[in-house]
Amino acid sequence: MNELINKVTKLLNDKTIDAFIGYGQGSTDRVRAIFARTVEQASKLIYTPACTFNLSGYLLKHEVKHLGKLGILANVAALRSIMQLASEFQIKDGEVYILFVNDDASLTEFSDFQSIEAFLEKANIDITPDEKARIEKIEAMSVSERWEFWNKEFEKCIKCYACRAACPMCYCHRCTTDVNQPQWIPVASHERGNLDYHLMRAMHLAGRCINCGECANACPMDIPLNLLTYQLIDPIKTGFGATAGMKADAVYALSTFKPDDKENFII
Amino acid sequence: MSRIGVFVCHCGENISATVNCEKVAQISKELKGVEFSTDYKYMCSDPGQTMLKEAIKEHKLDGVVVAACSPRMHEPTFRKACSEAGLNPYLCEMSNIREHCSWVHPKDDLTTEKAEDLVRVMVEKVKKNKALNSIKVPVTKTALVIGGGVAGIQAALDIANCGHKVVMVEKQPSIGGHMSQLSETFPTLDCSQCILTPRMVEIAQHPNITLYTYAEVEKVDGFIGNFKITVRKKSKSLDEHLCTGCGLCTTKCPQKKIPNEFERGLGFRPAIYVPFPQAVPNKPVIDRENCTYYIKGKCKVCEIVCPTKAIRFDQEDELVEIEAGAIVLATGFDVLKSDFFPEYGYGKYKDVIDGLQFERLASASGPTMGEIRRPSDGQIPKKIVFVACAGSRDPAKGIEYCSKICCMYTAKHAMLYKHKVHDGTPYVFYMDIRAGGKMYEEFVRRAIVEDETQYIRGRVSTIYEKNGKLIVKGADTLMGAEPVEIEADMVVLATAGVANHGAEALAQTVHVSYDAYKFFAEAHPKLKPVETNTAGIFLAGACQAPKDIPESVAAASGAAVKVAALFSNDELTREPLIAVVNRQAPPVFSSCVGCFLCQSVCPYQAIEREEIKNRNGEVIKTLAKVNEGLCQGCGTCVALCRTKAIDIHGYSNQQVYTEVMALLND
Repeated sequence: MNELINKVTKLLNDKTIDAFIGYGQGSTDRVRAIFARTVEQASKLIYTPACTFNLSGYLLKHEVKHLGKLGILANVAALRSIMQLASEFQIKDGEVYILFVNDDASLTEFSDFQSIEAFLEKANIDITPDEKARIEKIEAMSVSERWEFWNKEFEKCIKCYACRAACPMCYCHRCTTDVNQPQWIPVASHERGNLDYHLMRAMHLAGRCINCGECANACPMDIPLNLLTYQLIDPIKTGFGATAGMKADAVYALSTFKPDDKENFII
Repeated sequence: MSRIGVFVCHCGENISATVNCEKVAQISKELKGVEFSTDYKYMCSDPGQTMLKEAIKEHKLDGVVVAACSPRMHEPTFRKACSEAGLNPYLCEMSNIREHCSWVHPKDDLTTEKAEDLVRVMVEKVKKNKALNSIKVPVTKTALVIGGGVAGIQAALDIANCGHKVVMVEKQPSIGGHMSQLSETFPTLDCSQCILTPRMVEIAQHPNITLYTYAEVEKVDGFIGNFKITVRKKSKSLDEHLCTGCGLCTTKCPQKKIPNEFERGLGFRPAIYVPFPQAVPNKPVIDRENCTYYIKGKCKVCEIVCPTKAIRFDQEDELVEIEAGAIVLATGFDVLKSDFFPEYGYGKYKDVIDGLQFERLASASGPTMGEIRRPSDGQIPKKIVFVACAGSRDPAKGIEYCSKICCMYTAKHAMLYKHKVHDGTPYVFYMDIRAGGKMYEEFVRRAIVEDETQYIRGRVSTIYEKNGKLIVKGADTLMGAEPVEIEADMVVLATAGVANHGAEALAQTVHVSYDAYKFFAEAHPKLKPVETNTAGIFLAGACQAPKDIPESVAAASGAAVKVAALFSNDELTREPLIAVVNRQAPPVFSSCVGCFLCQSVCPYQAIEREEIKNRNGEVIKTLAKVNEGLCQGCGTCVALCRTKAIDIHGYSNQQVYTEVMALLND
């Protein structure tokens, strides 16, 4: 932990960065994100086993972007987010200073996207066995059972949009949900409006979700939103040979045509 | 408040037989914003159009809905009429109550109700329509002709003689195509090469034609009037400017036993070769797969003997960028080889050959100098069996169509054989004789009567070898399906004409559609036979379907006229129904976030990047921008845009939403 604080202090002192996004102690026993702009704030950085969530969602937030040059403490999910955002031209190489805490608590700096790509090739990017089991359970359901399952889950939704705010891939200035001329997606949190919103969200994340699970973590109603987008990871991989967030210059699987693309979904 | 006019067409009886047109007009008048409505027997007729124009002026209409046929038929007619009456043409919409309603439903009140719904939808849409102005784009007056067979040659010469530049790309080392392989042509029996080679020379000498042989089209971008094509000129391992075409290298090459493609495997060629004596250009290429130097790293005999030192072993493929306004596809066809047929020996009998091989045997420049000698032992066959419809018209073989040329060339083959082997007997097994064409039937008669060809109506079930003879077993269906067995010396299969190898890949590269047999698809089977569904790309010859020479040449001239018509104007007028990225007040500028998924999905490369800069010249935002000249209004970008920052003129989100709501809120 000291190594991290020392490193960030040095970065702030020599003006390599203007702010650092890391983990800090929340008001309860929970961990929160802190944005260290001074040496004093940097001293509050922590890194404990509880520090697992994906901080990269903050990188594109208007308020954070205006702090100046940013540094970030990234985990594997955050690195993948950064790669995906780079492929969508949202982050340029060298724009963000990226630190990673290794298993032995030592620090790794990523000087460029290439080194991140090399790192991710060896990293474990799979969803957890528990999540896998839950998806298999859903996929084993009949179509009507599945429909009922998700409708029941979506019934709980209060349209707080916490999932949208937490997702590092939901960076649009104006979400389709907020477009009211014309209003394709109803804003009220009734059954049909909820379904429309969540289907839209899942489709917008098809081939882009990097399975960090922040949507489900953020949901105050405990809807397993991550499973919805995770279910799309496999079809994209088997159908188009693409995995999101692995390469900075990747081209979106659903926007390109390759002669060897499988066309088995065309009836 | 809108002032919309609704014009309901009876289309004679086409619509009024099942839809109560008067009622549709009456009900439409009650709709909010509709100022005027009427019905008429033929809206597209002169009086109908006059009625529309006068109503626009008299009632000061600011929108028009014509409820009639599909907009594909008459939208331009009515938009033009509106324009003549002073109304912006894009404020006119068509409601399709014929194909979508009267033709597909019985006479019923519900049918009339559906027509009313369709009109209501369009009335709501027109309220959201905006006046648009057409877009003008320049035309590059150069045509690209892909394929240098007789069709490509004809198209290129016709276009070039109209004064336009032509670039011809041919995959083989020489132009000429299949026609250069033929011995004589039906129904006149004149020598194929004698009539073709002058045209080939003309291509090489024409000041307006640039010829790239041994080259393939790799990429096609752009659109009608403004295509950008990348051509890969495969390395010939030769400096063409230095080579004089003396041919010394081809005689000295130690590799002499490579099956000759031009002779269809009946002869051999060296690794450095000119495909045939009259080749254009008459300069050799090195076949790197079979060249000793490229295989073993040493040899270079050709380099040593070349008097002008023209051989270049290290020459690399060259990529050439071409700008063209139109493309003519003339890539031709192929014929199945005898190894396609299990019942005829899978190609294992040397004396079972295909029609193109027989052409080479009969050709004076062929491997036997024009003598009909069978490939196995060089003997002159005394009995030949010709099998028409080998593969064609056979659903079991996956080829349900008639290859069209085989009846005629089989009759020709029988005649040529008889002319050369007077004591020989030609037999023809046929399903039907299809000899539609000028002098065609007379030609077949001649083969039967004068040249005593034995025509047997029936199919050949099997062929096998026995004591040096080929036993051909079939049935004569005109003799009560009696079994027929012929001991033949040689068998010629009139194998089916099929799409060229690589036709599918080329269609995808050039962006044209193709049919189930991989032949390129025309835009309309009757009225647009040489156009494709992609504007500015035309078809000539047998790449579309099997065709004989006169038909290929006629299609080529047809395609050339289409190209010349396109090039007759300096500018093309395009519909303004294109995508547009929204713009908003600073600091947002646009709801576009610059993820550029639209850029990778756009099939026309129409998405560009626009940088928004502040007063100090610093880039503060990068947005997508639609190139008006390139966008074809397909709407794929709209579907992919997550923020709905892209919209399409004429089919905006707002318009489509309004249409849907008009239907739902009945």
